[in-house]
Amino acid sequence: MRFSFDKMNQRRIKNQSNSKIKKQRNIVKKIRQNSIENMDSLMALAKKNLNNNGIECLYAKNSNDACELIYNIIKDEKLVVKAKSNTLREINLNSFLNSKNIQIIETDLGDRILQLNPLNNKPSHPTGPISHFNIEKVQKIILDSFNEEIDSNPYALMQYIRNNVVESIEKSNVGITGVNVIAAEDGSLIMVHNEGNISLLSLKDTHIIVAGIDKLVNTIEEAMAVVKLETMYATGTNVTSYINVISGPSKTADIEKKLLKGMYGAKRVILIFLDNGRSEALNECLLCIGCGNCLISCPVYNAVGNDFGYKGYLGGRGVALSNFLENGKTSKDSGLYMCTLCGLCVLKCPVSTPTPEIIENIRINVNKLWNPIESHKKIKDNIKSKGNPFKK
Amino acid sequence: MLYFKGCIAKEKLTSISDAVETILQEADVKYKTHNHERCCGSVLLRTGFYDDAKEQMQNNIEYLENETILVSCAGCYKTLKKDYSEMFGVNLDVIHTSQLFEGLIKENKIKLHNSNLKVTYHDPCHLGRHMDEYDSARNIICECAKLVEMKHIRENSNCCGSGGGVKSAFPELSKNIANRRIKEAKSTESNMLLTSCPFCKLNLKDSIPEDDDFHILDLTEFIITQLKYSDE
Repeated sequence: MRFSFDKMNQRRIKNQSNSKIKKQRNIVKKIRQNSIENMDSLMALAKKNLNNNGIECLYAKNSNDACELIYNIIKDEKLVVKAKSNTLREINLNSFLNSKNIQIIETDLGDRILQLNPLNNKPSHPTGPISHFNIEKVQKIILDSFNEEIDSNPYALMQYIRNNVVESIEKSNVGITGVNVIAAEDGSLIMVHNEGNISLLSLKDTHIIVAGIDKLVNTIEEAMAVVKLETMYATGTNVTSYINVISGPSKTADIEKKLLKGMYGAKRVILIFLDNGRSEALNECLLCIGCGNCLISCPVYNAVGNDFGYKGYLGGRGVALSNFLENGKTSKDSGLYMCTLCGLCVLKCPVSTPTPEIIENIRINVNKLWNPIESHKKIKDNIKSKGNPFKK
Repeated sequence: MLYFKGCIAKEKLTSISDAVETILQEADVKYKTHNHERCCGSVLLRTGFYDDAKEQMQNNIEYLENETILVSCAGCYKTLKKDYSEMFGVNLDVIHTSQLFEGLIKENKIKLHNSNLKVTYHDPCHLGRHMDEYDSARNIICECAKLVEMKHIRENSNCCGSGGGVKSAFPELSKNIANRRIKEAKSTESNMLLTSCPFCKLNLKDSIPEDDDFHILDLTEFIITQLKYSDE
């Protein structure tokens, strides 16, 4: 993992020192602040404009609601395909659909490889989910899953998984994805990807999108500013290969001006807004644009990897977010007390998320509602009785 | 001036508080220590015991106000200077040993031997990134030795691994992080790592074998090795 991280870091250092990027950081930080402060009004505006554009909008209070809403739409399907999304990981969609006997296939290369390795299928970076696997590991996973020996050639490995995934995409009527940003004024959904899989999924008969309510901004222009910065910090490149802007189902009125849906792409585009604790979360906790740059330099993450984090929300900020998506106990189990509060992540974050401060605050509540760490309790008692942390 | 030793230098690494007192005496600085000095509250604040911290800090304010407070520890520095101000509105007059001694060297009140020794310097998070103090320690080192920098320094400095209650809760994790930092220090041409926080020193030192010939010292301990005593 550190090898992959070093590579990403070298690319990034060159790009991030650019003064244009510094300006861009300030712009995006303001966009994010505005979107969190005005979440309710932006959502109302987005619903109105998305509906006008022919996108159906649903609302899920929590993970279970979101899964049930999806199930209601796809209950007659045997197989669905999905793209990489932290939000879909958050709601445990895969295990939910499996329990309903609907097969769900990952289409992102890294995520598909993780899916084939069920004993350890936690990603190690938001855009590079298998940064912790080497080529031999990928070969072994394919061997174990399909009984096929593939050359230790990355292209051959990619090709093999691609063919496997494409088969499923062709058979499926439903594509499920997340979304990077929602432009409320335009009623548009912005998705970035490099593999092209989201484009394919958006062309299925039904395209279902699950989005945290923190993903809203005003316009497509603002959304572009966000995703460009995210890309820069996530991969060190300026743009992804694909930026999809979806503002409705596929439609035509070429024959006698009669509106027909589903020409090449989806007949139905359905967006599910997911709250799941976000409306109660600390504002600063929602600033994140998901680039994962905080992980590259985090001393704890570099030592323990994705044990420091919650589902796809990795590192200290993920640990903090889990307090709101779940509860303090989950946050504690995700590594709330593993953070050294060193603050390097704040410096590396393009929108300066003050994660150590948030973690310090959450620790106060967790100590009250759940048990503090035993050694911390002893130290506290020593300080109170002896004046110092030691037994002297 | 009140020398607030801080828990580590007072109870665990007394060689650091001894070094500070020796330097103060050599420079003829009038100072006192507090017989019943109690934890500044940093440990409690970082580990989520806010109410206990508040009580602890409230009791400390009485004897800290109206003093110039000299601290050895980066954690004490941040807490006394920033948290007391944010939580109680009191602006304590706090100075870190590296800042005071830099001034005393400039004023010629401390004289140092100049050596060709190559040393490297670890920025404590609480002093550097959190409080923007990077130069005093470096200026002192440059007065008496050759500073060779690590790859990650100043605001980009890597953590020693001890902070935030991690050393007591997850000692192996702390050690693991310290080892990475030491590896970085060892990859310079130096075989001596200095820092200006007793907690950083404690953790960095704990994670190398006792017979390791790589030296880890607090800046003030290093000053002692270079000090020209007035009777010399």
